[in-house]
Amino acid sequence: MSTPESSNNQDNSTHFGFKTVDKTAKASMVADVFHSVAKQYDIMNDLMSFGVHRLWKRFTIDASGVRPGNKVLDLAGGTGDLTAKFSKLVGKDGKVILADINSSMLNVGRDKLRDKGLVQNIEYVQANAESLPFDDNTFDIITIAFGLRNVTDKDKALSSMYRVLKPGGRLLVLEFSKPEHELLNKAYDFYSFNILPKMGELVAKDGDSYQYLAESIRMHPDQETLKAMMENAGFEQTSYHNLTGGVVALHKGYKF
Amino acid sequence: MNAFANKVSDKLGEQLMLKQALALTLEKIINKALNLNINDSVELKSLNEKRVTIILDELNSPLSFSVYQQQILVTSFTEYSDCTIITSLKTLKELQKNQQLTELIKQDKLDITGDIKLAQQFANVAQNLTIDWQTELAKHIGDFATYKLTRFGKTLVDKIKFLKNQVQADSSEYIVHEQKLVITKNQLNDFNQQVNNVSEQAEQLMLRLATIEKQLNK
Repeated sequence: MSTPESSNNQDNSTHFGFKTVDKTAKASMVADVFHSVAKQYDIMNDLMSFGVHRLWKRFTIDASGVRPGNKVLDLAGGTGDLTAKFSKLVGKDGKVILADINSSMLNVGRDKLRDKGLVQNIEYVQANAESLPFDDNTFDIITIAFGLRNVTDKDKALSSMYRVLKPGGRLLVLEFSKPEHELLNKAYDFYSFNILPKMGELVAKDGDSYQYLAESIRMHPDQETLKAMMENAGFEQTSYHNLTGGVVALHKGYKF
Repeated sequence: MNAFANKVSDKLGEQLMLKQALALTLEKIINKALNLNINDSVELKSLNEKRVTIILDELNSPLSFSVYQQQILVTSFTEYSDCTIITSLKTLKELQKNQQLTELIKQDKLDITGDIKLAQQFANVAQNLTIDWQTELAKHIGDFATYKLTRFGKTLVDKIKFLKNQVQADSSEYIVHEQKLVITKNQLNDFNQQVNNVSEQAEQLMLRLATIEKQLNK
Protein backbone atom coordinates (compact mmCIF):
# COMPACT_ATOMS: atom_id res chain seq x y z
CA MET A 1 0.00 0.00 0.00
CA SER A 2 1.46 3.35 -0.99
CA THR A 3 0.98 6.05 1.59
CA PRO A 4 2.32 9.56 1.90
CA GLU A 5 4.51 8.13 4.62
CA SER A 6 5.65 4.84 3.19
CA SER A 7 6.41 6.28 -0.24
CA ASN A 8 9.43 7.94 1.29
CA ASN A 9 10.60 5.05 3.42
CA GLN A 10 13.02 3.84 0.76
CA ASP A 11 15.17 6.96 0.89
CA ASN A 12 16.07 9.45 3.55
CA SER A 13 13.45 12.00 2.65
CA THR A 14 10.08 12.69 4.25
CA HIS A 15 7.35 15.28 4.11
CA PHE A 16 7.21 18.53 6.00
CA GLY A 17 3.79 19.68 4.94
CA PHE A 18 3.91 19.67 1.12
CA LYS A 19 7.69 20.03 1.09
CA THR A 20 10.02 17.06 0.80
CA VAL A 21 12.81 17.34 3.33
CA ASP A 22 15.60 15.20 4.73
CA LYS A 23 14.38 12.86 7.50
CA THR A 24 16.96 14.20 9.91
CA ALA A 25 15.73 17.75 9.36
CA LYS A 26 12.00 17.19 9.92
CA ALA A 27 12.12 16.87 13.72
CA SER A 28 13.84 20.21 14.16
CA MET A 29 11.54 21.90 11.61
CA VAL A 30 8.47 20.59 13.45
CA ALA A 31 10.08 21.66 16.71
CA ASP A 32 10.44 25.21 15.37
CA VAL A 33 6.73 25.26 14.49
CA PHE A 34 5.70 24.23 17.98
CA HIS A 35 8.21 26.46 19.76
CA SER A 36 6.58 29.27 17.82
CA VAL A 37 2.94 28.41 18.56
CA ALA A 38 3.22 26.93 22.07
CA LYS A 39 2.00 30.00 23.98
CA GLN A 40 -1.02 30.57 21.76
CA TYR A 41 -1.71 26.87 21.21
CA ASP A 42 -4.85 26.56 23.37
CA ILE A 43 -6.45 29.76 22.08
CA MET A 44 -5.73 28.75 18.51
CA ASN A 45 -7.20 25.28 19.09
CA ASP A 46 -10.43 26.83 20.32
CA LEU A 47 -10.54 29.29 17.45
CA MET A 48 -9.64 26.86 14.69
CA SER A 49 -12.00 24.10 15.77
CA PHE A 50 -14.73 26.40 17.14
CA GLY A 51 -14.23 24.64 20.48
CA VAL A 52 -15.06 21.21 19.04
CA HIS A 53 -11.58 19.90 19.93
CA ARG A 54 -12.86 19.62 23.50
CA LEU A 55 -15.53 17.17 22.35
CA TRP A 56 -13.02 15.20 20.23
CA LYS A 57 -10.82 14.86 23.31
CA ARG A 58 -13.79 13.85 25.46
CA PHE A 59 -14.64 11.19 22.91
CA THR A 60 -11.08 9.90 23.29
CA ILE A 61 -11.38 9.81 27.09
CA ASP A 62 -14.69 7.95 26.79
CA ALA A 63 -13.08 5.40 24.48
CA SER A 64 -10.12 4.88 26.81
CA GLY A 65 -12.04 3.00 29.52
CA VAL A 66 -9.59 4.47 32.03
CA ARG A 67 -10.06 3.47 35.66
CA PRO A 68 -8.48 4.39 39.00
CA GLY A 69 -4.95 3.02 39.32
CA ASN A 70 -4.20 2.97 35.59
CA LYS A 71 -0.90 4.15 34.14
CA VAL A 72 -1.45 6.40 31.14
CA LEU A 73 0.99 7.83 28.60
CA ASP A 74 -0.27 11.02 26.95
CA LEU A 75 2.13 11.18 24.04
CA ALA A 76 2.64 14.46 22.20
CA GLY A 77 0.43 15.67 25.03
CA GLY A 78 1.29 19.29 24.39
CA THR A 79 -0.60 21.59 26.68
CA GLY A 80 -2.05 18.72 28.68
CA ASP A 81 -5.79 18.72 27.95
CA LEU A 82 -6.00 14.92 28.02
CA THR A 83 -3.52 14.64 30.88
CA ALA A 84 -5.72 16.88 33.05
CA LYS A 85 -8.72 14.60 32.61
CA PHE A 86 -6.74 11.38 32.93
CA SER A 87 -5.05 12.64 36.08
CA LYS A 88 -8.44 13.01 37.77
CA LEU A 89 -9.73 9.67 36.51
CA VAL A 90 -6.73 7.51 37.48
CA GLY A 91 -6.66 8.97 40.99
CA LYS A 92 -3.86 8.88 43.53
CA ASP A 93 -2.88 5.27 42.80
CA GLY A 94 -2.59 5.89 39.08
CA LYS A 95 -0.07 7.84 37.06
CA VAL A 96 -0.12 9.97 33.93
CA ILE A 97 3.01 10.70 31.95
CA LEU A 98 2.75 13.80 29.80
CA ALA A 99 5.34 13.32 27.08
CA ASP A 100 6.21 15.67 24.26
CA ILE A 101 9.26 16.07 22.07
CA ASN A 102 8.95 19.82 22.29
CA SER A 103 10.18 21.52 25.46
CA SER A 104 8.13 24.68 24.89
CA MET A 105 4.89 22.72 24.66
CA LEU A 106 5.85 20.68 27.70
CA ASN A 107 6.56 23.85 29.71
CA VAL A 108 3.22 25.40 28.75
CA GLY A 109 1.47 22.14 29.66
CA ARG A 110 3.28 21.83 32.99
CA ASP A 111 2.47 25.42 33.97
CA LYS A 112 -1.18 25.00 33.01
CA LEU A 113 -1.65 21.76 34.94
CA ARG A 114 0.13 23.08 38.01
CA ASP A 115 -2.07 26.16 37.94
CA LYS A 116 -5.04 23.82 38.01
CA GLY A 117 -3.63 22.13 41.12
CA LEU A 118 -2.88 18.89 39.28
CA VAL A 119 0.46 17.81 40.69
CA GLN A 120 0.25 14.56 42.59
CA ASN A 121 0.13 11.93 39.86
CA ILE A 122 1.60 13.60 36.76
CA GLU A 123 5.13 13.26 35.43
CA TYR A 124 6.61 15.22 32.54
CA VAL A 125 8.97 13.61 30.07
CA GLN A 126 10.55 15.12 26.99
CA ALA A 127 10.56 12.18 24.63
CA ASN A 128 10.64 11.24 20.97
CA ALA A 129 7.71 8.97 20.06
CA GLU A 130 9.99 6.93 17.81
CA SER A 131 12.14 5.75 20.70
CA LEU A 132 10.18 5.99 23.93
CA PRO A 133 12.34 5.98 27.06
CA PHE A 134 10.16 3.55 29.01
CA ASP A 135 10.39 -0.15 29.88
CA ASP A 136 8.44 -2.73 27.90
CA ASN A 137 4.83 -3.33 29.02
CA THR A 138 4.56 -0.19 31.17
CA PHE A 139 1.27 1.52 30.27
CA ASP A 140 -2.40 0.54 30.40
CA ILE A 141 -3.37 3.27 27.95
CA ILE A 142 -1.43 5.35 25.43
CA THR A 143 -2.99 8.33 23.71
CA ILE A 144 -1.53 10.51 21.01
CA ALA A 145 -3.78 13.40 20.07
CA PHE A 146 -2.94 15.54 17.05
CA GLY A 147 0.67 14.46 17.30
CA LEU A 148 1.26 11.45 15.07
CA ARG A 149 1.23 13.43 11.82
CA ASN A 150 4.23 15.42 13.05
CA VAL A 151 6.30 12.32 13.74
CA THR A 152 8.96 11.65 11.12
CA ASP A 153 8.78 7.85 11.13
CA LYS A 154 5.25 6.89 12.09
CA ASP A 155 5.81 3.15 11.74
CA LYS A 156 8.71 3.31 14.14
CA ALA A 157 6.65 5.39 16.57
CA LEU A 158 3.75 2.91 16.48
CA SER A 159 6.15 0.03 17.15
CA SER A 160 7.64 1.93 20.05
CA MET A 161 4.16 2.55 21.49
CA TYR A 162 3.34 -1.14 21.07
CA ARG A 163 6.47 -2.07 23.00
CA VAL A 164 5.70 0.10 26.05
CA LEU A 165 2.02 -0.84 26.18
CA LYS A 166 1.01 -3.59 28.62
CA PRO A 167 -0.68 -6.70 27.23
CA GLY A 168 -4.40 -5.88 27.33
CA GLY A 169 -3.60 -2.19 27.01
CA ARG A 170 -4.95 0.06 24.31
CA LEU A 171 -3.63 2.76 22.01
CA LEU A 172 -5.83 5.69 21.00
CA VAL A 173 -4.76 7.88 18.11
CA LEU A 174 -6.77 11.06 17.69
CA GLU A 175 -5.77 12.79 14.49
CA PHE A 176 -7.04 14.86 11.60
CA SER A 177 -8.15 12.60 8.80
CA LYS A 178 -10.03 12.52 5.50
CA PRO A 179 -13.62 13.89 5.44
CA GLU A 180 -16.13 11.29 4.30
CA HIS A 181 -18.04 13.50 1.85
CA GLU A 182 -16.62 15.34 -1.13
CA LEU A 183 -18.53 18.55 -0.40
CA LEU A 184 -17.23 18.67 3.17
CA ASN A 185 -13.76 17.90 1.85
CA LYS A 186 -13.88 20.93 -0.43
CA ALA A 187 -15.21 23.24 2.28
CA TYR A 188 -12.56 21.90 4.65
CA ASP A 189 -9.81 22.50 2.05
CA PHE A 190 -10.97 26.06 1.55
CA TYR A 191 -11.03 26.66 5.30
CA SER A 192 -7.63 25.04 5.87
CA PHE A 193 -5.71 26.84 3.14
CA ASN A 194 -7.45 30.20 3.09
CA ILE A 195 -8.79 30.96 6.54
CA LEU A 196 -6.58 28.96 8.91
CA PRO A 197 -3.21 30.55 7.98
CA LYS A 198 -4.80 34.02 8.19
CA MET A 199 -6.16 33.19 11.64
CA GLY A 200 -2.68 32.03 12.63
CA GLU A 201 -1.18 35.24 11.31
CA LEU A 202 -3.70 37.34 13.18
CA VAL A 203 -3.73 35.57 16.56
CA ALA A 204 -0.41 33.73 16.87
CA LYS A 205 1.46 36.12 14.53
CA ASP A 206 2.63 33.05 12.64
CA GLY A 207 0.82 32.23 9.41
CA ASP A 208 3.55 29.85 8.18
CA SER A 209 3.11 27.46 11.09
CA TYR A 210 -0.60 27.19 10.42
CA GLN A 211 0.05 26.75 6.71
CA TYR A 212 2.23 23.80 7.75
CA LEU A 213 -0.61 22.53 9.94
CA ALA A 214 -2.99 22.47 6.96
CA GLU A 215 -0.42 20.83 4.70
CA SER A 216 0.58 18.22 7.27
CA ILE A 217 -3.07 17.22 7.69
CA ARG A 218 -3.35 16.57 3.94
CA MET A 219 -0.17 14.50 3.95
CA HIS A 220 -1.28 12.38 6.91
CA PRO A 221 -2.43 8.82 6.13
CA ASP A 222 -6.20 8.40 5.74
CA GLN A 223 -8.34 6.27 8.08
CA GLU A 224 -7.79 2.90 6.43
CA THR A 225 -4.08 3.46 5.87
CA LEU A 226 -3.46 4.39 9.49
CA LYS A 227 -5.47 1.37 10.63
CA ALA A 228 -3.26 -0.85 8.47
CA MET A 229 -0.14 0.80 9.90
CA MET A 230 -1.35 0.05 13.42
CA GLU A 231 -1.94 -3.58 12.46
CA ASN A 232 1.54 -3.76 10.95
CA ALA A 233 2.94 -2.52 14.25
CA GLY A 234 1.25 -5.44 16.02
CA PHE A 235 -1.97 -3.89 17.31
CA GLU A 236 -5.06 -6.09 17.27
CA GLN A 237 -8.81 -5.43 17.12
CA THR A 238 -8.04 -2.12 15.45
CA SER A 239 -10.93 0.16 14.60
CA TYR A 240 -11.64 3.82 13.97
CA HIS A 241 -14.48 6.28 14.51
CA ASN A 242 -14.92 9.23 12.22
CA LEU A 243 -15.79 12.41 14.07
CA THR A 244 -17.28 15.57 12.54
CA GLY A 245 -17.67 13.87 9.17
CA GLY A 246 -14.17 12.42 9.18
CA VAL A 247 -12.38 15.73 9.70
CA VAL A 248 -10.95 13.90 12.72
CA ALA A 249 -10.75 10.16 13.36
CA LEU A 250 -10.09 8.24 16.54
CA HIS A 251 -8.17 5.02 15.92
CA LYS A 252 -8.12 2.34 18.58
CA GLY A 253 -5.96 -0.77 18.84
CA TYR A 254 -5.12 -3.30 21.52
CA LYS A 255 -1.99 -5.20 22.46
CA PHE A 256 -2.72 -8.78 23.51
CA MET B 1 -37.98 2.02 8.55
CA ASN B 2 -37.78 2.80 12.27
CA ALA B 3 -34.60 0.77 12.64
CA PHE B 4 -33.09 2.69 9.73
CA ALA B 5 -34.11 6.04 11.28
CA ASN B 6 -32.62 4.98 14.62
CA LYS B 7 -29.38 3.93 12.93
CA VAL B 8 -29.14 7.25 11.10
CA SER B 9 -29.91 9.18 14.28
CA ASP B 10 -27.29 7.18 16.26
CA LYS B 11 -24.70 7.79 13.56
CA LEU B 12 -25.52 11.51 13.45
CA GLY B 13 -25.39 11.70 17.24
CA GLU B 14 -21.97 10.05 17.23
CA GLN B 15 -20.68 12.35 14.49
CA LEU B 16 -21.88 15.44 16.34
CA MET B 17 -20.69 13.95 19.65
CA LEU B 18 -23.96 14.77 21.39
CA LYS B 19 -23.11 12.46 24.31
CA GLN B 20 -19.88 14.33 24.88
CA ALA B 21 -21.63 17.70 24.58
CA LEU B 22 -24.20 16.60 27.15
CA ALA B 23 -21.48 15.30 29.49
CA LEU B 24 -19.52 18.55 29.13
CA THR B 25 -22.59 20.67 29.91
CA LEU B 26 -23.62 18.54 32.88
CA GLU B 27 -20.10 18.57 34.26
CA LYS B 28 -19.94 22.36 34.10
CA ILE B 29 -23.36 22.77 35.76
CA ILE B 30 -22.65 20.23 38.53
CA ASN B 31 -19.25 21.64 39.41
CA LYS B 32 -20.56 25.20 39.35
CA ALA B 33 -23.33 24.13 41.73
CA LEU B 34 -20.75 22.41 43.99
CA ASN B 35 -18.67 25.58 44.03
CA LEU B 36 -21.68 27.67 45.03
CA ASN B 37 -22.91 25.23 47.67
CA ILE B 38 -23.14 26.68 51.20
CA ASN B 39 -24.28 23.51 52.96
CA ASP B 40 -21.34 22.08 54.92
CA SER B 41 -22.96 18.67 55.18
CA VAL B 42 -22.35 18.15 51.47
CA GLU B 43 -18.98 16.43 51.23
CA LEU B 44 -17.46 14.33 48.49
CA LYS B 45 -14.50 12.92 50.46
CA SER B 46 -16.11 9.54 51.05
CA LEU B 47 -16.90 9.30 47.34
CA ASN B 48 -13.40 10.16 46.18
CA GLU B 49 -12.33 8.11 43.13
CA LYS B 50 -15.71 6.35 43.02
CA ARG B 51 -17.76 6.09 39.87
CA VAL B 52 -21.51 5.76 39.50
CA THR B 53 -22.99 5.11 36.05
CA ILE B 54 -26.60 5.83 35.13
CA ILE B 55 -28.08 4.33 31.98
CA LEU B 56 -31.38 6.08 31.24
CA ASP B 57 -33.89 4.55 28.82
CA GLU B 58 -34.54 7.97 27.33
CA LEU B 59 -30.88 8.71 26.58
CA ASN B 60 -29.76 5.37 25.20
CA SER B 61 -26.29 6.17 26.49
CA PRO B 62 -24.56 5.90 29.87
CA LEU B 63 -23.58 8.85 32.02
CA SER B 64 -20.75 8.16 34.45
CA PHE B 65 -20.11 10.40 37.43
CA SER B 66 -16.59 10.09 38.86
CA VAL B 67 -15.47 12.00 41.92
CA TYR B 68 -12.02 13.51 42.11
CA GLN B 69 -11.40 15.52 45.27
CA GLN B 70 -14.06 18.26 45.21
CA GLN B 71 -15.02 17.81 41.57
CA ILE B 72 -17.33 15.53 39.64
CA LEU B 73 -16.30 14.36 36.18
CA VAL B 74 -19.02 13.35 33.77
CA THR B 75 -18.12 10.86 31.04
CA SER B 76 -19.83 8.24 28.89
CA PHE B 77 -17.87 5.25 30.18
CA THR B 78 -19.42 1.85 29.88
CA GLU B 79 -16.54 -0.36 30.86
CA TYR B 80 -16.03 0.15 34.57
CA SER B 81 -18.16 1.49 37.40
CA ASP B 82 -18.55 0.98 41.16
CA CYS B 83 -22.32 1.15 40.78
CA THR B 84 -24.45 0.98 37.63
CA ILE B 85 -28.10 2.01 37.62
CA ILE B 86 -30.32 1.15 34.66
CA THR B 87 -33.61 3.04 34.81
CA SER B 88 -35.69 5.85 33.30
CA LEU B 89 -35.97 9.55 34.17
CA LYS B 90 -39.46 8.98 35.62
CA THR B 91 -38.25 6.20 37.91
CA LEU B 92 -35.26 8.25 38.95
CA LYS B 93 -37.63 10.80 40.50
CA GLU B 94 -39.35 8.04 42.47
CA LEU B 95 -35.97 6.76 43.63
CA GLN B 96 -35.59 9.77 45.91
CA LYS B 97 -37.91 8.01 48.32
CA ASN B 98 -35.77 5.23 49.84
CA GLN B 99 -38.68 2.96 50.65
CA GLN B 100 -39.55 2.78 46.93
CA LEU B 101 -36.26 1.09 46.02
CA THR B 102 -37.23 -2.56 46.54
CA GLU B 103 -40.63 -2.00 44.99
CA LEU B 104 -39.10 -0.44 41.85
CA ILE B 105 -36.61 -3.30 41.49
CA LYS B 106 -39.47 -5.82 41.83
CA GLN B 107 -41.40 -3.97 39.13
CA ASP B 108 -38.34 -4.17 36.80
CA LYS B 109 -38.25 -0.40 36.62
CA LEU B 110 -34.79 -0.32 38.16
CA ASP B 111 -31.70 -2.47 37.86
CA ILE B 112 -28.72 -1.84 40.12
CA THR B 113 -25.32 -3.52 39.86
CA GLY B 114 -22.57 -2.81 42.40
CA ASP B 115 -22.53 -0.82 45.61
CA ILE B 116 -26.02 0.59 46.13
CA LYS B 117 -24.85 2.81 49.01
CA LEU B 118 -22.78 4.83 46.54
CA ALA B 119 -25.88 5.66 44.53
CA GLN B 120 -27.62 6.83 47.71
CA GLN B 121 -24.60 8.93 48.71
CA PHE B 122 -24.61 10.60 45.29
CA ALA B 123 -28.35 11.22 45.62
CA ASN B 124 -27.79 12.77 49.07
CA VAL B 125 -25.19 15.14 47.67
CA ALA B 126 -27.63 16.27 44.99
CA GLN B 127 -30.48 16.72 47.47
CA ASN B 128 -28.45 18.62 50.06
CA LEU B 129 -26.85 21.11 47.70
CA THR B 130 -27.85 24.58 48.87
CA ILE B 131 -27.09 27.71 46.89
CA ASP B 132 -27.58 31.22 48.19
CA TRP B 133 -28.93 32.62 44.93
CA GLN B 134 -29.44 36.12 46.33
CA THR B 135 -25.80 36.50 47.33
CA GLU B 136 -24.62 35.10 44.01
CA LEU B 137 -26.95 37.38 42.06
CA ALA B 138 -25.91 40.42 44.09
CA LYS B 139 -22.30 39.84 43.04
CA HIS B 140 -23.33 40.45 39.45
CA ILE B 141 -26.13 43.03 39.56
CA GLY B 142 -25.74 44.66 42.97
CA ASP B 143 -27.72 44.51 46.26
CA PHE B 144 -30.55 46.89 45.33
CA ALA B 145 -31.34 45.26 41.99
CA THR B 146 -31.16 41.82 43.62
CA TYR B 147 -33.57 42.93 46.37
CA LYS B 148 -36.03 44.33 43.81
CA LEU B 149 -35.71 41.29 41.57
CA THR B 150 -36.14 38.88 44.47
CA ARG B 151 -39.22 40.73 45.71
CA PHE B 152 -40.67 40.78 42.22
CA GLY B 153 -39.93 37.06 41.88
CA LYS B 154 -41.56 36.31 45.25
CA THR B 155 -44.67 38.33 44.34
CA LEU B 156 -44.84 36.58 40.99
CA VAL B 157 -44.55 33.15 42.59
CA ASP B 158 -47.21 34.06 45.19
CA LYS B 159 -49.54 35.29 42.45
CA ILE B 160 -49.03 32.17 40.38
CA LYS B 161 -49.71 30.04 43.47
CA PHE B 162 -52.86 32.05 44.23
CA LEU B 163 -54.00 31.76 40.62
CA LYS B 164 -53.36 28.02 40.63
CA ASN B 165 -55.31 27.56 43.88
CA GLN B 166 -58.12 29.75 42.56
CA VAL B 167 -58.40 27.80 39.35
CA GLN B 168 -58.42 24.55 41.34
CA ALA B 169 -61.09 25.84 43.72
CA ASP B 170 -63.25 27.17 40.88
CA SER B 171 -62.93 23.92 39.00
CA SER B 172 -63.96 21.90 42.06
CA GLU B 173 -66.94 24.18 42.69
CA TYR B 174 -67.97 24.06 39.06
CA ILE B 175 -67.82 20.28 39.04
CA VAL B 176 -69.80 20.00 42.31
CA HIS B 177 -72.59 22.32 41.10
CA GLU B 178 -72.74 20.99 37.58
CA GLN B 179 -72.90 17.47 38.92
CA LYS B 180 -76.27 18.22 40.44
CA LEU B 181 -77.66 19.35 37.09
CA VAL B 182 -76.23 16.61 34.99
CA ILE B 183 -78.65 13.68 34.52
CA THR B 184 -77.54 10.19 35.44
CA LYS B 185 -77.57 7.17 33.14
CA ASN B 186 -80.53 5.67 35.05
CA GLN B 187 -82.50 8.87 34.65
CA LEU B 188 -81.80 8.84 30.95
CA ASN B 189 -82.85 5.19 30.64
CA ASP B 190 -86.02 5.95 32.61
CA PHE B 191 -86.79 8.89 30.34
CA ASN B 192 -86.23 6.74 27.24
CA GLN B 193 -88.56 4.09 28.66
CA GLN B 194 -91.27 6.68 29.32
CA VAL B 195 -90.97 8.02 25.76
CA ASN B 196 -91.29 4.45 24.44
CA ASN B 197 -94.40 3.90 26.59
CA VAL B 198 -96.02 7.12 25.37
CA SER B 199 -95.35 6.24 21.74
CA GLU B 200 -96.80 2.73 22.25
CA GLN B 201 -99.90 4.28 23.86
CA ALA B 202 -100.19 6.79 20.99
CA GLU B 203 -100.02 3.97 18.44
CA GLN B 204 -102.74 2.02 20.28
CA LEU B 205 -104.90 5.13 20.43
CA MET B 206 -104.47 5.66 16.68
CA LEU B 207 -105.53 2.07 16.04
CA ARG B 208 -108.63 2.49 18.21
CA LEU B 209 -109.52 5.76 16.46
CA ALA B 210 -109.16 4.05 13.10
CA THR B 211 -111.46 1.22 14.24
CA ILE B 212 -114.10 3.67 15.56
CA GLU B 213 -113.90 5.66 12.31
CA LYS B 214 -114.52 2.49 10.29
CA GLN B 215 -117.56 1.54 12.46
CA LEU B 216 -119.06 5.05 12.08
CA ASN B 217 -118.67 4.94 8.29
CA LYS B 218 -120.66 1.70 8.14
